[in-house]
Amino acid sequence: MTDYVASALFVHTKDTAYIADLLNKHPCGAVITPMTFEGVMLDPHGILKGVAHVVISGPLAAVKGMLELAAVTDVSIGLVPTESQKNLRRLYKLPRSIEEAVDLALQTEPTAMDLLLCNGRVVLFRATVGRIPLLDTPDHPGKLSILKAAVSAFFNLRLLKFDFSTAGERQIATAASGCIIFQHCESSITSRLISGESSASDGFVSTVISAPISVIDYVKFLLNLLSPSRNRKRLPSAIGYIKSQTVKIEPESELDVYIDGEPATRTPIYCEAKPGAVRVNVGPSLREESRPAEPTKERIQTDHLPKGKELLKARKKNAIPFFSYASEDRFRDLFTALRDDAEINNFFLVLMLLSTMLAAVGLYLDSASVIIGAMLLAPLMAPIVSLAMGVLRGYDKMIRRSLEKIAVGVTIALLASIIITLLFPDKPITGEMQARLNPTLLDLAVAIISGIAAAYSKSFREIIQSLAGVAIAVALVPPLAVAGTGIGRWDFQFFFQAFLLFSTNLVGIVIAATLTFRILGYSPAIRSKRNLGMVLCLLMLIAVPLYLSYNRIIEERVFERGWQNERFLINGKYIIIESADLRRLGDKKIVVMEMVLRDQMDREDMEEFKRKIQAYFPDKLIIRAKTTFIP
Amino acid sequence: MKQLKYRNILIGTALLVVGACGQESRVAPSGNVIKIGIIAPFSGTDLNQGAEGLKGVETVMRLWPLLANGDSIEIVKKDDGNEPDRAIKALQELTEVDQVAAIVTFSGSGPVLAMAGVADRYKTPILATLATHPDITRRSEYVSQVCFDDIFQGQVAAAYVRDELLLDTVAVFSNPDSIYSSNLATEFERKFVSLGGRISDTVPLSAEAKDYTAVLKPLAAKGPELLYLPLTAEDVIGIIEAAVKLNWMPLMMAGDGILATVMARHHEQADLLDGLLTTDFYHYTNKLTPFGEKVRRAYDGKATSFAILGAEGFAILRDAMNRCSEPASRGCINDKIRTTSNFTGVMGPITIGSDGKAHRPLVINTIRKKRMEFMVKVY
Repeated sequence: MTDYVASALFVHTKDTAYIADLLNKHPCGAVITPMTFEGVMLDPHGILKGVAHVVISGPLAAVKGMLELAAVTDVSIGLVPTESQKNLRRLYKLPRSIEEAVDLALQTEPTAMDLLLCNGRVVLFRATVGRIPLLDTPDHPGKLSILKAAVSAFFNLRLLKFDFSTAGERQIATAASGCIIFQHCESSITSRLISGESSASDGFVSTVISAPISVIDYVKFLLNLLSPSRNRKRLPSAIGYIKSQTVKIEPESELDVYIDGEPATRTPIYCEAKPGAVRVNVGPSLREESRPAEPTKERIQTDHLPKGKELLKARKKNAIPFFSYASEDRFRDLFTALRDDAEINNFFLVLMLLSTMLAAVGLYLDSASVIIGAMLLAPLMAPIVSLAMGVLRGYDKMIRRSLEKIAVGVTIALLASIIITLLFPDKPITGEMQARLNPTLLDLAVAIISGIAAAYSKSFREIIQSLAGVAIAVALVPPLAVAGTGIGRWDFQFFFQAFLLFSTNLVGIVIAATLTFRILGYSPAIRSKRNLGMVLCLLMLIAVPLYLSYNRIIEERVFERGWQNERFLINGKYIIIESADLRRLGDKKIVVMEMVLRDQMDREDMEEFKRKIQAYFPDKLIIRAKTTFIP
Repeated sequence: MKQLKYRNILIGTALLVVGACGQESRVAPSGNVIKIGIIAPFSGTDLNQGAEGLKGVETVMRLWPLLANGDSIEIVKKDDGNEPDRAIKALQELTEVDQVAAIVTFSGSGPVLAMAGVADRYKTPILATLATHPDITRRSEYVSQVCFDDIFQGQVAAAYVRDELLLDTVAVFSNPDSIYSSNLATEFERKFVSLGGRISDTVPLSAEAKDYTAVLKPLAAKGPELLYLPLTAEDVIGIIEAAVKLNWMPLMMAGDGILATVMARHHEQADLLDGLLTTDFYHYTNKLTPFGEKVRRAYDGKATSFAILGAEGFAILRDAMNRCSEPASRGCINDKIRTTSNFTGVMGPITIGSDGKAHRPLVINTIRKKRMEFMVKVY
């Protein structure tokens, strides 16, 4: 059984005066006294004297004004949000339809709710201090202006010293770009980060501190915020969190404070949650959530934010860098591992020899599985990744050692495959070999993607086992084995094509891994621009034959596909071309086609067929035909 | 200083070479005018053949207004309404009164065959762009074809149906009043039977017998898998409508030019033709030659087969005239037309043999959702 108030003061503005009719017509028969918000504010305490319940409908300022009055006069509040006040509806879980909202507003079962005040001003949704791009925008700006402001803010984000003091007398000094203060987890996007941690009636105020160490770090935080699969128990590295009854925030310089999207006050700012300060008719689900719970403790999660020396370092910079820096621990571990990878040792020599032998035999057997085994054994990826780090950080010693190790590996691979080729009595060119003789831009793309994956997996211990997959994808040893086979066959075109594929992989991985390490923060800048320039020049040199080769392959595919729609009528004999395969022998183009026809072709037919091909097709083609007869 | 001078000369020369390469060579007008006749149906039911063919000619004239020696060409048009008698009269007037150097015709096989019967008398080269009857070139050494002939067309259609669609039974329609239709039907039938196929019916569809439903009913009972329809667009549409009424939809195949007529005159009924196969000269998705690209760009609107054949025919004639020391010489033009070798047409090379027959590929298209879809190209 729902009970309704016997009388209520209806506070409205000009735009919401019509709601008085709905209140008057409500079947509960409550006596409604309408009054404008401006009218109430002329003598608020006088007017509210003897009033037990107020229904308010109007702009946010009016709602906040009435809540502030309710906190000191003990009237209960019923809310009828306007069509555009979606946030307010969400905050108090009010019904969508105006009739239902009116019904709820007149009920007699208010819930005691906390009231968040910052510098004495009511905060319904959030208060923001400093810069928190995309999250500190006013409530209803245009999309373009949000984007413009965000782009500008991204590149001007800087960390300031912030001092936070809590009700539990904890003092936290850190560097942050800004912070957001709110009370209820449904009230802003940021509050989703600490979903379940805050309640509208727990007597606590929540503060989310944004302290990104780079633009990339901040973007990661935003993506994390939007990700439905994020780990809710763990805060992103760029974020700190304080939950206390009160919080005092003092940045090193005075900043504007925006309350609910509007400029309201300036720092320092003192925010407090007044427990159960107002009694509001809220939606049934919020009423359930707001039942008195176990008292909670103050909570502070700021350990990962800059402090001490880091704080001083962060404050020195004008704006945060675009890329993050890796932590010193992570960098030390990785660097030690990469330095070891650049050293030649017996394991490397033996594995290199074995993997090449396996690859060479697998190539002659035309066995993909044996070749994959060789790829997994191959130890060449490690010195290449070390070389990338050396190039990035300008460590000449590491570069030199990596190059030496790669050169030794290449020499072993070539020699081993030459010897195997010379020992093999039969030297067929298998499909697996042919597949490594026409490198194109697509192979470069594979190398680049693999380089990124290699550097990324090397950077994190948790995913280091993925390097095996990278090794298979990019396959360094099989092209070397094919190149050695070319020398063994005394066919230098063969050698050149396969070695081009290896070089493509090598250069692609070095470039991609260098840039990936840079993005992951292993260097504040590319220190050895000369070395990187050299690798880039090599990349461009390699890209030329790859581009030509790629173009040629595309042309060939188009040519071959085109033939599938070509037919001939030769001396009354209808010839269906089912497929065509373009092959090259030096500068000659050979088309091997599969034809379907009904009658045998004699010499005269063949001559006519050849004449038509020569007449209608621009290139000089040599035709080889396989025929299937229609019985 | 000297180095700078050489560099400037080098840059200047390079710019001149680049500039010269970027432009078509300009020919100074000689002031001479050579008359070329055009005989085509500019009135009657087939007027789109004439109108579109002429647009093709005008496109080429816009692109290359003068011959290589600077002579200009004047077009003299004659309407034959696609009727043999009027075509002969037009030929006589053009040769005797207008004194044209050559004639391009967009008429069908009937009128061109009639002209071929008397062409030797006038000794004026006639280039038939649309007439596909094989006897056109046999009757006169002054008549040459730009299109393929019906022997090629009929044989290709039959072989496609038999060997690619793998169909066994076909009913063949023909219009006994049309030389084109009956000849193409005969060629198809002959080839199809020689490939082991069976003709379930041969249906003569004269001008009087237009009750298509009555014609189709007995055919449907025999269940041919395809209807071969070397007929006019109106007849093909009538047959398809009747088949729809009978709720019987076998595959259907029509001859060249039908899609151009449908697109020009019956576009609103094009959805009825969904699935219809046709032998044709072009498909717009085929790769165009540089000549084809120029024509496509210069053509006002979307060129049909008639327009493209008009453009190609006139370009072949221009080429022949350019190869003559006396571009207005009828004898020379005729000789040169019949020695056209690998002339770059819209889609590829066209060769005209000494017998006046054109060697060029044929395409098989189909209609899907009111659009032409390319199936195969046959050389």
